[in-house]
Amino acid sequence: MMSAEPVLVLLAVGVPLLYPAMALRSAWQRAMRFALPLLPVPALMLAVATDPGWQLELPWLLNGGLWAMDELRRLFLLLTALLWTVAGIYAVGYLAAHHLRRFCVFWGLTLAGNLGLTVAVDIGSFYSFFALMTFAGYGLVVHEGTGEASYAGRVYLVMAVLGEMAILAGLLLASAAADSQLLTDLPQAIAGSSRRDLIIGLLIAGFGVKAGLPLLHFWLPLAHPVAPTPASAVLSGAMIKAGLLGWLVTLPFGETALPGWGAVMIVAGALGSIGAAVLGVCQRRPKAVLAYSSVSQMGLIVLMVGAALADHGRAPVLLSIIALYALHHGLAKGSLFLSAGVSLPAGAARRAAVWLLITVPGLSLAGLPFTSGALAKLAMKESLLEEQLEFALAGYLSPLMTAGAVATLLLVLRYLWTLTGNLESGRNPPMLAAGWLAAVVVSLVAFWWMPWNVEGLVKPPVWLPAAYQVWALAWPMLIAVALALLALVASRLVKQR
Amino acid sequence: MTLTAWIPLFALMTSMIASVVIFALPEKGYRLRTGVNLGAALVKLALVVVMVWGVFRGVDYGLSFTMVPGVTFVLRADAFSLMFAGLSSVLWLLTTIYAVGYLEDSPNRSRFFGFFSLCVASTMGIALAGNLFTFFLFYEMLTLSTYPLVVHRGTEKALKAGRTYVIYTLTGGAVLLLAIAWLHGVAGDLPFREGGHFTDADPDIQGSLILIFILLVAGLGVKAAIFPLHGWLPQAMVAPAPVSALLHAVAVVKAGAFGIVRVVHDIYGVEASAALGLLAPLAWLAAFTILYASVRALWQRDLKRRLAFSTVSQVSYIILGISLFGPVAAVGGLVHLLHQGIMKITLFFCAGNYAETLGIHRIDEMDGAGRRMPGTSLAFTIGAFGMIGAPPLAGFITKWTMGSGALAANMDWVIAVLVASSLLNAAYFLPVLHRLWFREPAAGWPHERRWGRLETSAWLFWPPLLTAVMTVMVGVLASLPFSPLSWAELIVLREYSS
Repeated sequence: MMSAEPVLVLLAVGVPLLYPAMALRSAWQRAMRFALPLLPVPALMLAVATDPGWQLELPWLLNGGLWAMDELRRLFLLLTALLWTVAGIYAVGYLAAHHLRRFCVFWGLTLAGNLGLTVAVDIGSFYSFFALMTFAGYGLVVHEGTGEASYAGRVYLVMAVLGEMAILAGLLLASAAADSQLLTDLPQAIAGSSRRDLIIGLLIAGFGVKAGLPLLHFWLPLAHPVAPTPASAVLSGAMIKAGLLGWLVTLPFGETALPGWGAVMIVAGALGSIGAAVLGVCQRRPKAVLAYSSVSQMGLIVLMVGAALADHGRAPVLLSIIALYALHHGLAKGSLFLSAGVSLPAGAARRAAVWLLITVPGLSLAGLPFTSGALAKLAMKESLLEEQLEFALAGYLSPLMTAGAVATLLLVLRYLWTLTGNLESGRNPPMLAAGWLAAVVVSLVAFWWMPWNVEGLVKPPVWLPAAYQVWALAWPMLIAVALALLALVASRLVKQR
Repeated sequence: MTLTAWIPLFALMTSMIASVVIFALPEKGYRLRTGVNLGAALVKLALVVVMVWGVFRGVDYGLSFTMVPGVTFVLRADAFSLMFAGLSSVLWLLTTIYAVGYLEDSPNRSRFFGFFSLCVASTMGIALAGNLFTFFLFYEMLTLSTYPLVVHRGTEKALKAGRTYVIYTLTGGAVLLLAIAWLHGVAGDLPFREGGHFTDADPDIQGSLILIFILLVAGLGVKAAIFPLHGWLPQAMVAPAPVSALLHAVAVVKAGAFGIVRVVHDIYGVEASAALGLLAPLAWLAAFTILYASVRALWQRDLKRRLAFSTVSQVSYIILGISLFGPVAAVGGLVHLLHQGIMKITLFFCAGNYAETLGIHRIDEMDGAGRRMPGTSLAFTIGAFGMIGAPPLAGFITKWTMGSGALAANMDWVIAVLVASSLLNAAYFLPVLHRLWFREPAAGWPHERRWGRLETSAWLFWPPLLTAVMTVMVGVLASLPFSPLSWAELIVLREYSS
């Protein structure tokens, strides 16, 4: 009997890849719009219903194709498919008639790339999907056609092309060192290569463009906010993680201790998580605040990537937690972005409910107990305790994490603050509301039932954290709230003068 | 003579006979002419397919006879011949279809198609030539048969471009003849042979060999448009689009590149060329040409001129690949012979479509053309991404293979050249794509024509889409047998194992 995985994976990639052909007939425009949420469904089934470990050989593809799923890839596939599904539902209600078919074409292509790269194990198809996502993503960024969008698009494209080139050079060198066309052979070969540092540098920088690594992030706060809201959600929630996945599958984690690169990444992560918060709270537009929040959150992840590079013994555990954090952040950030486009209904109770649903994913991001954020943050904190890690900068990690938590909540508060002036009143299109609610539910509730238990390295869900843990989560939040209140009072005082 | 001897001759004669018949046909015999054209193209394609299968199984196709003592006329089909012959016969078929639509209602079609067929016959001869003398005959025949095509429109500009073209190529031809005669004097009549002839050359003739090599490359480099011999190519852009397509993808520039590969692989041999210290300078020259022409392309406002400089750049990939002294890099170079052809012909077909349908010639007139001509623009987009080297398209396979080969040969600097070239390609193609798809069109097109249901004439619409599909397929399916990549690997295996 033929197993279901090959069929599902071919559908998962093939459906969004062929979907743009619907644009050939203008009569199908309506069908195209309503098909948007269905595109990631095969991928979703693949992530939820199949067990990791299968692989599919495609010997005729490029230099020999191999697609497979392990625990790590399943987690990224899950995130990608979920987020694109809810964003797709949202998009049905959100999109205007303006160049609708063009938007759908680029949506399908970007999605195909984003899904494909999570299952691709051979270098050729991984890089192909990555490039497809990058270039098709341009269509989403510039869609609105404003001068601002064009400018953001230009910056996006320049950075993206530079990133692609760094990745190409890095993969070429790594593939030559490994004498292999498979990603799985790269880490070990890189660790032993005479050009080790060059390869690592190229890959860190190349994927770093996508992942919003500080100093390579410039395009991100420009591009993410100008895209149509559902596209912003997938850009900031899912596509940014593709860069992270690129790191995780190529860099030599667990092969050899790389304290130098670890330090570089820890410094970059610290810079990103705190610097982006400083810049972010100065933004006036909600989606720009969220974009900086993404850079800030990716900074925390970069911090962990740095720790994993520096301490190869702890790398497997850290990698699992990184993946978990990515899942949590992707879903929460997706919900937040989608909330930027909702309207406030009439009636105080309803308004309050909407505000609550906007706020909770934000608080989850900041680590509110009983949310995915609390779980991710606690796992992260415990894995980064100084005594467990063996490298020079380990002592700085915990304080940096705490500072990051403060920064996170400050940005969320700033987002809510900017939102108060920006939300329109009126009825939401049903599909838009459904997409947003689905995003919130997925990020807050469904998260706990997801098959994210990465190789047993992260403890099962903690419904009731211990008291010391609650305190650990709460006090950075209190600081952030105090800071926000201070800022509020200060601004009032300034205005009164 | 047996059938294996006749097949190459038949393949050569199909286009020759077609050419003679077309010259004889009256100008008005539109249907008959088209029929002869397409029929001949199909017959030739079939013969090439037969030979591809045969050579794959190890059959030796060839015939030779002595012209004068010491000079023989040799036709022989080896794996490398068939790569070029295959490219030429597939793209000839498509270009014929395209040209029929393009030249609808224009004068002198009989003359045009006559020379067109003659030009293709020449490329077939070049592909199947078994020694330098035979190669030279067809190489010059190519020059003479393309001149009338370049000046076809008869305008002042076309005649000027034609003059430049002839001066460049005839001078190149003279240098080439000199080199061939000298080589004949030094070493006799040498058939093309895998592995070459000079692996253990007499030290006494080494000096001559080096000078002859330089002359050979200089002579061939004119058509291959290697810097600084590329000046004719951008001027020749005034030719009608199908001619440009053929010139850039199949006939002229490829004949030059093909000749250089023949000289390096099958006359001197890679080992000997490397031992004589000839490969490294050739690689540098090719690398410089790649970058120089890409930089020049950036400043061109005319679409076809930009494409022309892109050709100059891309053809040097082939030269770079074979001069890196390593099997994998050689595969990368050879496979680009096909890949560049498929991608570039797509781009030129599209440029022709824009010109014929909307009157667009300059890049700044292309705003919003994607909505008006989605099929053509899709093909153009695929071709452009292929040129940039974006995966999984044809150009990526070239770059990846060549990059891996360069690293295997310890020529790390090539990676920098490849990356820089990709960046430059992106810099001059992506803005065009942005205009096509994301800018709003100007009030009206410069000169619009309408055909019924399709965005343009069906004759013009399908060829670029087909070559665009091929651009995707040769990349995605690169590991299948008989893909360009697999065939290039076969050639190199035979070259390096002998």
